[in-house]
Amino acid sequence: MSEKIATTPGKSSKTALVLSETDPGFRKQVEAIEGAERLSLCFQCGTCTADCPVSRQTEEFHPRIIARLAKLGAKNELLGGDALWLCANCYTCYEKCPEDVKLTEIIVALRNLAVREGHVHPAFKAQMELIANKGAVYEVTEIENDLRETLSLPPIPSADAKDLRTIMKKTGFDKLTGIDLESE
Amino acid sequence: MTRKYALFLGCTIPVRANAYEVGTRKIAEKLGLELIDMDGVRCCGSPAMESLDRLTALAVAARAICEAEKMGLNMMTLCNGCAEVLGKANNTLKKDLKLREEINSILSEVGHEFKGAIEVKHLVRVLTEDVGLDAIKTTIRKPFGALRVAVHPGCHMMRPSDVVSFDDPLEPTALRTLVELTGAETVRFPDETECCAASVLAVREDLATEIARKKIAVAVKYADIMVTACPFCYLMYEVSQLTAEEMLKLPVVHYPQLLGLAMGIDYDDLAMGENRIDCSKIKEFQT
Repeated sequence: MSEKIATTPGKSSKTALVLSETDPGFRKQVEAIEGAERLSLCFQCGTCTADCPVSRQTEEFHPRIIARLAKLGAKNELLGGDALWLCANCYTCYEKCPEDVKLTEIIVALRNLAVREGHVHPAFKAQMELIANKGAVYEVTEIENDLRETLSLPPIPSADAKDLRTIMKKTGFDKLTGIDLESE
Repeated sequence: MTRKYALFLGCTIPVRANAYEVGTRKIAEKLGLELIDMDGVRCCGSPAMESLDRLTALAVAARAICEAEKMGLNMMTLCNGCAEVLGKANNTLKKDLKLREEINSILSEVGHEFKGAIEVKHLVRVLTEDVGLDAIKTTIRKPFGALRVAVHPGCHMMRPSDVVSFDDPLEPTALRTLVELTGAETVRFPDETECCAASVLAVREDLATEIARKKIAVAVKYADIMVTACPFCYLMYEVSQLTAEEMLKLPVVHYPQLLGLAMGIDYDDLAMGENRIDCSKIKEFQT
């Protein structure tokens, strides 16, 4: 058996997976997470990728390959790579999978694991800092409320940023994701 | 009969999609829906937070639901993302008492307790299940004729189906039926249920915009306007046209704006001028 397995058909050896670098326990680690229990049932039919809106646009994200890499234990390649963060979270593959693998949930589980390995996509991190410090992903200024007044809309609700920061400290979310929390 | 809901606006509507809110408030008056503004909460937790840490996202969602519980009202959202995140948290914590205990121990730090006392519903679901199609029909004064509408319900309104339990996940009909109540014609087009890719926008703007633009390029061949019921879908389809080299000019309309027009509400009162792709031709289709 060849030591290298091509993960993306037609791609150069750069994308090949070196089996000795895989983690044989990784599949079980993923399947232990709620929603990701059915990973092993994936038989690589490709229905997920055929109907994936992102896969139709780019070679960089194929849900079928995510499932294959997870089953093969390609922990570092998956958790440290960019592909995981390109899922649109549309749940199309989740609904169409003939084996009910629930791939969207597996990708969420993999992202949760990636965060625990210190890999947080910077765009996600930036959004979380806004939520923690401003109470939502958009900061509100007078400009927004002035426009709303012209439309006879009430001012934008106040935000509960302090509560959110308290929750995040309690769950360890700030340390986990490395976000900076404004001091009280 | 008046039905009361706690109105959850979320992060995006009051900042980037005011017209959606204007339309919703206008049709609510005609339908006898009393919308009580929620204060002190602007974030549902978001699918993005769930991606990073499920427990934190669940606690943040539960924190928002607690505000509506305190008001003693069912919660209405206008955003598909909020509907899915809050609906999922609500259903999960109603069933899983062990997890509820864990979440409540977190929420006790901020003076809240999840009780599982209310429902969370998207506007389209409120219109379909609570108001009912017959009641909506009686409010139509100026129906559309021959207006061809590309219906875009988005993803999280009906997916994941085993969590959301509303409409068909792959052949959705709820928003289509509501559009048809206005007298407009709904068109079928290839890949009509495909995602707007809003969740990819922050990670890869070019890629997300191209996915949205491709759908518009197909829809414009079949329809006069596109109708959405989510601020993210709306913005993806509007902005992707505005930033295209050659603009396709398919007006994107929030569903309550369309229904409001059919109810005979004035075009300007529905903030139709806020939609950045000129919608004025829509008036020509009204009888």
